[in-house]
Amino acid sequence: MQFKTFDIIPHDTKFDFVGKRHIAVVLSLIANLAVLIFSLNAVHGLNFGVDFAGGTEMEVKFDRVVDAANIRKSVEELGFKDASVQTYGPESEHSYLIRVGRIALMSQEDVNRVIQAVKAKLPVAGEPHFNSEVGDKIDFQFTKNPTTQELKAAVEAAGVKVREVREEAGLTAGTRSFAVITQGIRDKVESDLLTRFGDAKPDVRRVEYVGPAVGRELRNQGFKAILYAMGLIVIYVGLRFDFRFSPGVIIALVHDAIITLGYFALSGREFNLTSVAVILTVVGYSVNDTVVVYDRIRENQAKYKGKHLGDLVNLSINEVLGRTFLTSFATALSLVGLLIYGVGTIFDFSAAMLIGIISGTYSTWFIAAPMTIWLEERAEKKRSPTARQQPPQQAKSV
Amino acid sequence: MERSWLWRVALIAAVALFSIYQLVPSWFYFKLPPGERLGPAYEESVPKWAPSARRHLNLGLDLQGGIHLAMGVDVDRAVKAKVARRADEIAEYLKEKGVPVESAKPVGDGRVIELKTAEAARAEKTVLDQYNSEMYAPSGAPQGAIWLAFKGKVLQDFQAKAVEQAEKTIRNRVDKWGVSEPDIKRKSNNQIQIQLPGFKDPEKAKELLGRTAQLEFKITDDESPLVDPVRSELAACPSSEAGFKMPLPTEGCWSVETVELPSGGTRQVTFLAANNRIELDAAVQKHVSAKLDHDHEVGVGEGTVGQGPVRERYYRTYLLHAKTELTGDYIADARAAVDNSQGAGKPVVVFTMSPEGGRLMEKLTTNNLRRRMATVLDGKVETAPYIQGKISTNGQITLGSGRPYQQMYEEANDIALVLKAGALPAPVTIFEERTVGATLGPELIKKGTTAALIGLLLVVLFMIAYYRATGLIADVALALNGLLVLAIMAIIGTTLTLPGIAGFVLTLGMAVDANVLINERIREELRAGRSVRQAVDQGYDKVFWTIVDAHVTTLVAGVVLMQYGSGPVRGFAVTLIIGLIASMFTSIVVTRAIMDFFTRRDTARLSV
Repeated sequence: MQFKTFDIIPHDTKFDFVGKRHIAVVLSLIANLAVLIFSLNAVHGLNFGVDFAGGTEMEVKFDRVVDAANIRKSVEELGFKDASVQTYGPESEHSYLIRVGRIALMSQEDVNRVIQAVKAKLPVAGEPHFNSEVGDKIDFQFTKNPTTQELKAAVEAAGVKVREVREEAGLTAGTRSFAVITQGIRDKVESDLLTRFGDAKPDVRRVEYVGPAVGRELRNQGFKAILYAMGLIVIYVGLRFDFRFSPGVIIALVHDAIITLGYFALSGREFNLTSVAVILTVVGYSVNDTVVVYDRIRENQAKYKGKHLGDLVNLSINEVLGRTFLTSFATALSLVGLLIYGVGTIFDFSAAMLIGIISGTYSTWFIAAPMTIWLEERAEKKRSPTARQQPPQQAKSV
Repeated sequence: MERSWLWRVALIAAVALFSIYQLVPSWFYFKLPPGERLGPAYEESVPKWAPSARRHLNLGLDLQGGIHLAMGVDVDRAVKAKVARRADEIAEYLKEKGVPVESAKPVGDGRVIELKTAEAARAEKTVLDQYNSEMYAPSGAPQGAIWLAFKGKVLQDFQAKAVEQAEKTIRNRVDKWGVSEPDIKRKSNNQIQIQLPGFKDPEKAKELLGRTAQLEFKITDDESPLVDPVRSELAACPSSEAGFKMPLPTEGCWSVETVELPSGGTRQVTFLAANNRIELDAAVQKHVSAKLDHDHEVGVGEGTVGQGPVRERYYRTYLLHAKTELTGDYIADARAAVDNSQGAGKPVVVFTMSPEGGRLMEKLTTNNLRRRMATVLDGKVETAPYIQGKISTNGQITLGSGRPYQQMYEEANDIALVLKAGALPAPVTIFEERTVGATLGPELIKKGTTAALIGLLLVVLFMIAYYRATGLIADVALALNGLLVLAIMAIIGTTLTLPGIAGFVLTLGMAVDANVLINERIREELRAGRSVRQAVDQGYDKVFWTIVDAHVTTLVAGVVLMQYGSGPVRGFAVTLIIGLIASMFTSIVVTRAIMDFFTRRDTARLSV
């Protein structure tokens, strides 16, 4: 060989991963439970973004520093009690993320008040229609149709600002129906920011609005997607290797997903669609190391027939220790740029991915691989204590 | 070692050249300033020898700015409206048949009709005879009344039709704005997803999309020579066997059609045609508007060239009497049906007017027998059939014959949808709205590409520092991988989103994983005392399935994510999937070919 190469991790290590598996499992369980408990709403909770919580999110850039507390105060004065304002990206950008959780501008009391006011002035036919999932629209029908101006005036007299009154075809042929649409959060906040901070030139760069029903649905689907991916991966690994390996894979996958979730729980960063994407990617990627070790276990099983499974697993992990580390290292390297220059969700994406990659390598070494002998040991104990010295059952080759 | 590597090098070179070739349109696309990319300047800048100009990398809404909307159709209200109109229709029908009706109104949750009548049994039988495929009479109605309910399948159909109708209306309107590359998709749960890249005014979009459709009936004026002078101002439309030869001139063109007149004769009526609504509107503005008097207006409709599934659309004009004779409000219902009266079944559109609408329609049709009546939905002429006879409450639209049954039935369905669009409210509300201003995109693109380049550089340097020559080989493969991914994305028209850039970087990081595995294995085999040649062969062979397994598990996650996500997240999933597939090729096939080349002699050395 011409060049002297070096190994980051020496190639002849002899760590006892299998022997440490109980400690590792307990430690991981504690870490996992901690994350789960921390993610509970009663304890601390995840900081759900509008994708999942529903609401309106606005990214506003100013051309000079504006106090975030001042922005929040002014938004709260508009009647949004649960507004949150964060700086977005580096300080020098003067960008802020304003989030308002409440979508329905009209509470049921507001709606009732509007309906009473309109009924008092105009001949309403039937019951007006309000869908709380929509939250900003009431449909009226009249026995004698008013002009849109009259209707608007009647609603605004009840103290609710109107953006538009729409005349539509009514429920029965030849009749008209009127949809009263109240002013949206964006209009309200934007015009307020312009009057209060006009000299700092607020620029609304991005607005995201998600209705509450959609938010719930996205949250459920995201959770299901993660479960489906895990299930499919476990089945694939089971078919390609041996279903004896499945408990290890399942525990490692759940572990990595929860640790990645932990990033969002502990940092309080926004948990949104991109976060689900990270967890799914971690789930798919973290098995890669596990596959490498499993392949080696299978290879060694053929090579060292009769060797105790525990020793075999230990040997296999040690033999591929260097490459399981290096693959994760190479992938982590690609994230460095995103960690430095990533804004908002992309920074969170890379940070969570990094943690998932580290967790994936850890869980391969200490959980997924050592767990393969778990079923074996249980089976042995069941058979009889005297059978312990018997060589483990030969793994089925695929 | 035989010379099989030669073939493989040829294959690799071909893939590399193909990728670069496919990226030519994207190169010219991104060379233009953002404002001009959507215009004709782009298509002109792409050289003739390059792939179709349409095949370029697209920027997602998060990077180029624009509006993403998910509109939910209020199917509950649409169904209620439908039931209320059916109640009216039934009352009318019973009166015609001489059955006394006190009232017919929806009760309860608005899905059951309570019919008060002195002759309950006769009313029930009469109604069910007429509507027996759709309705039934549940028991439990109070004395002196019957209940009429809809079968489950029918209610579902009402909902589906409401969504379909809303989608059609939205398509029509977006078409009219001339937004380039709009993306309108029907999603599950009665939602319609609309993506308008580069559209700047969210309030305007929401307001226009939220309105229910306006349907008007107008009579065409086929006897007036008002439009004829355009024949000297514009070129005649180029024709082919199938109709027009597409595409038409961008400034529009004229053509004639033979129209039957009420008097019995025929006339060659001139109309204008163009490729799209925007071009046609411009042509009308320039050549026709000044010629019109107060009693006339120009309606714009669609025409098709060719037959079967590959039909090209063009837009054309109709000369209409300006007066709106009747609006869609008076239509109670419309549906496609089959007319068996003349032997063979013939698809027709059957519609029902409200009582007042029936009177107006009767007057209109009597006065305009054998003229064409245009149904204008949201300002677009959807259809202009001849009035064949007097129509009152129940009308029927006969379609032009001579086409396959299936095609005619589809057309009948379309027309029914149009008539209903004006009749029934299918109100839409916004469930989800994401607006990205134009100032954000360029900044994100800059930061995203810088971030990607840094990550890439680190990976490339690491591979060379750690594996020397073999690391360099892996880097060559990595470069090819990057090219290939971008080329595939350009070919299938994937949009590049901000998370997509992250996904791109990540897959490149994952791609070298395979080479790390291979190189580590080669090192191991060398330590075990094998020759370089043997070590390389063993390294690739033994690690092959490991690499495949590792790719498949990540692909599984990617595919699940693609099913789940929309917008930017979907962009990430697609990039991830393409990247993984490309990486299987580059990190195994490409590196192996190069490796085999350098170690083709048994005495070869290798730095790994």
